Amino acid sequence: MKLRNQIIKIIVPILAILLSFLIGGILIAAIGGNPKEAFLYLLKGAFGSKANVGESFVKATPLIFTGLAATFAYRCGVFNLGAEGQFVMGAVVSVYIGTTVTGLPDALLITVSLICGAITGGLWGFIPGILKIWRGLNEMIVSIMLNYVAILFMGYLYSGPLREGSVPQTAAVTAKLMRLFGLSRMHIGIVIAVVLAGIIYYFMFYTDGGFKLRAVGLNSTAAAFNGFPVNRLMILSFVISGAIAGLGGSVELHGTQYRLMSGFGQGYGFDGVAIALIGQLNPIGTVLVAYLFAVLRTGATTMQVGTGMPTSVIDIIQALVIVFAVAGSAFVNLPKVRQFIVGASFPENPLKRKKNTPDAIEKGVGES
Amino acid sequence: MEAFLKMENITKKFGEVSANKNINFSVAAGEVHTLLGENGAGKSTLMNILMGLYQPTAGQIYLRGEPVRIDSPSKAVKLGLGMVHQHFMLVEAMTVFENIILGVSKDHAVFIKKDRMKKEILALAARYSLDVEIDKPITEISVGAQQRVEILKALYRGAELLILDEPTAALTDLEVEGLFRIIRKLKKENKSVVFISHKMREVLEISDRITILRTGETVKTLKKEEADADGLANLMIGKELVLSDYKKVASSKEKVVSLNGVCYQKSSKHSGLNDVSLEVGKGEIVGIAGVDGNGQSQLAQLLTGVIGPESGEVFVKAERISKYAPEAFIMKNVAHIPEDRNKMGLIGNMTVTENLMLKRLKSDEISYGKGAFLRRRAMKQSAEKLKDKYDIRCASTEQETRNLSGGNQQKIILARELEENPDLLVAVHPTRGLDIGATQYVHDAMIASRDKGCGVVLISADFDEVLKLSDRIAVMFEGRIVGIYPGENPPIRDISLAMAGKVE
Repeated sequence: MKLRNQIIKIIVPILAILLSFLIGGILIAAIGGNPKEAFLYLLKGAFGSKANVGESFVKATPLIFTGLAATFAYRCGVFNLGAEGQFVMGAVVSVYIGTTVTGLPDALLITVSLICGAITGGLWGFIPGILKIWRGLNEMIVSIMLNYVAILFMGYLYSGPLREGSVPQTAAVTAKLMRLFGLSRMHIGIVIAVVLAGIIYYFMFYTDGGFKLRAVGLNSTAAAFNGFPVNRLMILSFVISGAIAGLGGSVELHGTQYRLMSGFGQGYGFDGVAIALIGQLNPIGTVLVAYLFAVLRTGATTMQVGTGMPTSVIDIIQALVIVFAVAGSAFVNLPKVRQFIVGASFPENPLKRKKNTPDAIEKGVGES
Repeated sequence: MEAFLKMENITKKFGEVSANKNINFSVAAGEVHTLLGENGAGKSTLMNILMGLYQPTAGQIYLRGEPVRIDSPSKAVKLGLGMVHQHFMLVEAMTVFENIILGVSKDHAVFIKKDRMKKEILALAARYSLDVEIDKPITEISVGAQQRVEILKALYRGAELLILDEPTAALTDLEVEGLFRIIRKLKKENKSVVFISHKMREVLEISDRITILRTGETVKTLKKEEADADGLANLMIGKELVLSDYKKVASSKEKVVSLNGVCYQKSSKHSGLNDVSLEVGKGEIVGIAGVDGNGQSQLAQLLTGVIGPESGEVFVKAERISKYAPEAFIMKNVAHIPEDRNKMGLIGNMTVTENLMLKRLKSDEISYGKGAFLRRRAMKQSAEKLKDKYDIRCASTEQETRNLSGGNQQKIILARELEENPDLLVAVHPTRGLDIGATQYVHDAMIASRDKGCGVVLISADFDEVLKLSDRIAVMFEGRIVGIYPGENPPIRDISLAMAGKVE
């Protein structure tokens, strides 16, 4: 049954993606386009040249970070909707360090800057966490509000103290992340993101800390009765979630944007939440879904140029993926559907299961 | 006598497995017919078929002699069938009245004719002596009253046959008496009742006939006069059940836990502790008897560090406790079988293995570097061992625990808590909702750990259980311990008086 559950967890998002493209295709046809042509341009845009392939990775990098941030918090049962603010705060600190500190070799400077970015993001995540534990404030509201604080603070910086020249933007950092394989702007940040996903996977599923964190997320009362420090774990998960997002901000700054300006980091927080949900709160799934989102975005531009279809068609497809993935997960958890899944699993090995099945039926459907 | 309901050769298959096989079951008007069977015997499936939640694979249902097809719960209601589920289906924020009229529109009226409906309901309540406060929200009435609301709800919808699924599980003895009076009244009014229960004494008291189910088949249908508790138990589990009479032991000098004048929310009679002093020795079982909701939950939580006292002292193994937290008590080797196994004991979405390992994540057996790397395979092996040792029946240790039956869930908790040889075990309603076989298993396990030197505090609403297991019996009433009695030849009259609060 565990295997079956795993398969369903993979099938649901895949079906969601296919369905979304189907509807997207109908939509394109409805506004007078040729779906086949449009999707071909989309693919060409994403994979047609080395530069395009690299561009997808560039776009995927920040999404992986915010997706992982959301995953980490959700796994512990807390809702961090503030990844965008944490992302921005990480970048703010990095831009400060990158433009003011001199005399350090680039590698060291970037390391220091990334660490400071992560710490700042962590502190920004600590605020909603501690307010939730101490004062019982709703962490979703607080973290969303802190997004505005961070974005406005960034705005103050690039139009005020850290402004360079006449345009409202900061100076560019000189220490830049290493480019990879000559694929357009692709930089080592993607490697950092993927390695981080691996570390989180290991932590989540192979350490006692991760185990406890998941236990709190699934049933905090039972976790407390079993002696797990529930409050501490919740705060910890907020801090780490924030640190992941903050690190993402720093990486984006040193790897892609180099400077702060209006719109920096915009939307990454909520995209991360959607990505985490479609990725079934699995770090590896999160990486894959983030990459898919990035592919859609890279391809969308080419599609617009090639066919005249607006890129918003792709935004709609992306939104549909979210809707279908979330609805699909809810659907397979409906009692009747669950029973069908459980029921269908009997023929696999009737002898072995016989003993327990009536029980499972009664429990699974009758009483719960 | 013409049967009101007749279910003929009912078979229900889920895939390859039959949950019901050729079951024949009938209820006459004015009859109380009990369905008896272990968890998984097929009672719920049969009743779900009757209520239109499942369609039988084969077989026919007759109502008042006519063949019927019940394809939805609303059809079942229309045909005069009503069910009171074990977990009530009430909207807590609404009042009793609103809950009763919810979904009823007798004449397709646009506006609710409140006054008339209220009058009808009150008349109905009076007729069946269903004492409810009709304008109170559900949250403010007792569990027994909520059950009366459920019954009234079914009657108001015109039920001629009521299915009561484990109706006494959550009730106090006094409330059970009240329920039985209602059932007798229903009988007198020629209504039929299907009664589902595990408790022999109740079954024998209230039933006219008893049908025993085992692994989806009818074993036998007995008239009340033909039945006795031992015989029923044997038919139910299909083998001779040895009702062990455990040996009682004397209290040891060495104390594992002492409470000294402990108070917690003293003024609350139902959820407080008032000047509680109690000692539990090594290798003895102290039973806490009392009607549910006299501070027992708080006592259990205090003994496991979930709450701390407002005044008074707690000593575990002669050491005064300064920090009240579950982890501190677990460090002192205190084990806990919590009162709500799903909410407090298990993490339903985690696997059997993971739930078994909850308390030993840092042990060298299953991890490297004190929990820095969990060895999945070692965890699984260790879980398999516990599964065999504690007879946990599951398809795989990788199965999520929420899909298991109550008995198997409780065995997982037992395995986790008793495997570490605790010094103190706090067991709260350890057999609530379990069938006879599982109950026996839990009792044996508790006695075995007592004999290994573990001090046990047994808190149970089941008086028979307390009498059976306890070496000493303490009675709680309104947050106080009002008497301590020997477990050997206990003075039952005194104890029951004390439980009712009459001690002088």
